[in-house]
Amino acid sequence: MLMRISDVDRMFNAMDLLQSRMNRMSSDFGRFRTAVPGAGPYSGPAANLYDAGGHLEMKMELPGIDKENLSIKIQGNYLEVSGKQESDKPEGYTPHRVERGLSSFTRSFTLPTDVDSSKVEAQLANGLLSIILPKSEAAQPKQITIN
Amino acid sequence: MGERTDLVKTESNVPERSREIPAVAPVVDIYENEDEILLHVDMPGVEKEDITVNIDNGKLSLAGVRHISGEGAVLWEELADVEYQRSFSVPQTIDVDKVNAEMHNGVLHLHLPKSEAAKPRQIEIKGG
Repeated sequence: MLMRISDVDRMFNAMDLLQSRMNRMSSDFGRFRTAVPGAGPYSGPAANLYDAGGHLEMKMELPGIDKENLSIKIQGNYLEVSGKQESDKPEGYTPHRVERGLSSFTRSFTLPTDVDSSKVEAQLANGLLSIILPKSEAAQPKQITIN
Repeated sequence: MGERTDLVKTESNVPERSREIPAVAPVVDIYENEDEILLHVDMPGVEKEDITVNIDNGKLSLAGVRHISGEGAVLWEELADVEYQRSFSVPQTIDVDKVNAEMHNGVLHLHLPKSEAAKPRQIEIKGG
């Protein structure tokens, strides 16, 4: 049987398509899960860290925590966020299902650079804490001019 | 021999990118008293405009999408854009017109008032 190169090519294309379909199918398996706080590889609330050149930015999910019950400590490149969740169980109600835990937590981070602790800003909105951590003078990115 | 031309051209070196937001079931507390059923749902990072509450034929569905917008290069990421989805069966005695909800620190408080007919009633015994 004589086969042209383009036929072989097409056959492989079809197999690739099948493979990508299968991949998409199996990725649906993990699509449904419960959002249990602290179920990740780290204990404590989940957080993201971004490096935006002049500053670092941290996002952390803290549902149901008032800003009065939250404390942030910074020293050099060490950041510690701790807080306490107060019970919001309403008075005079019978609980049927309680999934949301009550906890106090502390999570500490070693940041990749030193930060200027006097310029750090934190904001809590919709249960999401965002901290802007400006890098210290020594860690700021510098423009080098070529002579 | 003429070269074969495909009817549909696919650019094989452009990977297909499906930006599918994973669906997650939020954790919920359910409370009840004589007047209403109260739900506390953890939905951190969801704006109140992005929450939909639907009650249809005894089925309550909650959905909310959150978008996490951080600027700069990602150093580590444990939080992602998710869609919170969960549905419950609710008794038919819920007064759908009076359902109300508020958002407090990323926690949705959903009040499902019971209709007048379903509330427990104290029966007065008349002396005769």
